[in-house]
Amino acid sequence: MSSDTITQGLSRARRGVGSGGSGRQAAPAPRKPSNANRMPGHRSRSATLLGFALPSLILLVLLNVYPVVYAGQQSTRNGDLLSAGNFVGLQNYLSVVQEPVFWHAALFTLIFTIVGVFGSWALGLAMALLLRTKIPANGVFRVLLLLPWVVPVVVSATAWNWLVATPQSPFPVIAQFFGLGNPLFLADPALAQVLVCIYKVWISFPFMMMMMSSALASVDTNVYEASKVDGAGPWQTFRLITLPIISRTTYISWILMTIFCVNDFPTIFLLTGGGPVQSTQTLVVMAYITVFQNYQTGPGVAIAFLMTIVLVIISVLLYRQIRKVNIE
Amino acid sequence: MSADSALPGTLTVGVNASRTRKAPAAGERGKWGRFVGILVITAIVLIPIAAVLILSFTPALGSTASGFTTENYVDAFTQTDVLTWLTNSLIVTLATVIVAVAVAAPAGYVLSRGRNRLVSGYSLVLFIVQSLPVVTSVIPLFILFAQLQLVDNLLGVTIIYVGSTMSVAVWMMAAYFDSIPITLEEAAWMDGTSVFGSFIRIVLRNSLPGILSTAIFCFLLAWNDYLIASVFLRSDQNKTLPVGLETFFQQNQANWGLVMTVAVVMMLPPILIFALLNRYFSVGGIGGSLAGR
Repeated sequence: MSSDTITQGLSRARRGVGSGGSGRQAAPAPRKPSNANRMPGHRSRSATLLGFALPSLILLVLLNVYPVVYAGQQSTRNGDLLSAGNFVGLQNYLSVVQEPVFWHAALFTLIFTIVGVFGSWALGLAMALLLRTKIPANGVFRVLLLLPWVVPVVVSATAWNWLVATPQSPFPVIAQFFGLGNPLFLADPALAQVLVCIYKVWISFPFMMMMMSSALASVDTNVYEASKVDGAGPWQTFRLITLPIISRTTYISWILMTIFCVNDFPTIFLLTGGGPVQSTQTLVVMAYITVFQNYQTGPGVAIAFLMTIVLVIISVLLYRQIRKVNIE
Repeated sequence: MSADSALPGTLTVGVNASRTRKAPAAGERGKWGRFVGILVITAIVLIPIAAVLILSFTPALGSTASGFTTENYVDAFTQTDVLTWLTNSLIVTLATVIVAVAVAAPAGYVLSRGRNRLVSGYSLVLFIVQSLPVVTSVIPLFILFAQLQLVDNLLGVTIIYVGSTMSVAVWMMAAYFDSIPITLEEAAWMDGTSVFGSFIRIVLRNSLPGILSTAIFCFLLAWNDYLIASVFLRSDQNKTLPVGLETFFQQNQANWGLVMTVAVVMMLPPILIFALLNRYFSVGGIGGSLAGR
């Protein structure tokens, strides 16, 4: 049954793209007589395609779908890492939602995501635009600027730690030199929040740079020359020509980066551990700490599952939106 | 310390270099202006990475060496478990890359060539799965893997990495297959080749850049992962580099030279891969494949 549908899809795609194709047809016949002798047998073909998809399907169900379902179940129990525990209804959710820390974490997740997405986009786009112009050693910069994204987070978190952690670290010393006191980035809640956001932008902008570069590469340079002839200034050119052309990639990159930021764990955990006084905890970090440091499995899973529900709804909506954007 | 003095140093060289040349035309001057601008930005961006490198060549506390030294590297490989961690990381990462590409390539083919409700449902599931936080599935997987004796086991983490790279890997492969015209396969089918045969001999043969791109993505994900490794790998001889470095850092906070040496060992493989294969890697493919169906 299912394999038949896959095959139909294949034959439709083939007829759409192929040389003798009849374009888009509303109701494709499962087997067209004219095609029958140039395709491998119907049955073997569908079996092959099902076989192609099967390993990945098994892995997806076993490693991604099953755990989420299990987590949903576990969030209504008072178990721990080893035993399932008893059914407690929505008690875990209630206890989590009543804590101010949870709402603080939710708010910081939002701030962290907004700064992460738009900060890295702005910087990445600026770099992509700059690298598009004639600059000596262009290719070298292109590779060097990817490094923050390529270097493992554990490594860069260690390096940032060295730069800011103690009063003798370089950044506090430099700040003191400019008369800004001796800021302790990891001890002050507000400064730690700012630092984590900057760190996230630092890690993420190369990804945005790559996305934007590939979008800009498809822009015809003649368009710019035409606009120059028409007397458009650089800002006008950017706003009226460049932005609309890269809008689709921009939109998709925002979605991807939002997902990356909301689900980000190591960036925050390795730099601040969620501290000081839980100021840099996002929901993911809070869930991890609740389970693995406070050993409250039920509430921790409840936080994670709440996020999961919200993300499933958002991603289904976004998925439709993306497809719409694509059709236009 | 030396990072401070060295970085402005590189900057001055750059500024002087651009000053020595005379800019005859306005466009030419703009070119060098932009060069200086991007040089400054790159230098600022690379401060943390430069710090790692420089500190790893700086003598450790209580060491008799002065100035530039490779002493930390000798110490790291003789006195710490870094070699074990490196081996573990390499095994886990390479296994992940091979299995993930082998599973994702045929699945990507189905996604690329099939256009019907079932396939787009599959695509939606992939999109949802990759947008979920890993934390949610870590605990159920931990309980499951504990029963299967896969906790504190390199095979266990490899299986999870394959699962977590799967959705994006399938997309990236599908996006590349989209760029291969189906007419090639049709010709082969006319000659009596099976779908499987044409997939191996025509599609895969022409997909080296797509395969490399996917492989690099899987490599980065498995090599850099901290969360899963920190939960699943408990004993010292099973740790991969990220967990190894983190615990080592917690225990030797004052000994920056040694810590940064382990960090260099860890960041070198991904940097080398990017330096060599960077032209094959395109994240544009991720966006394209997302929008493409």
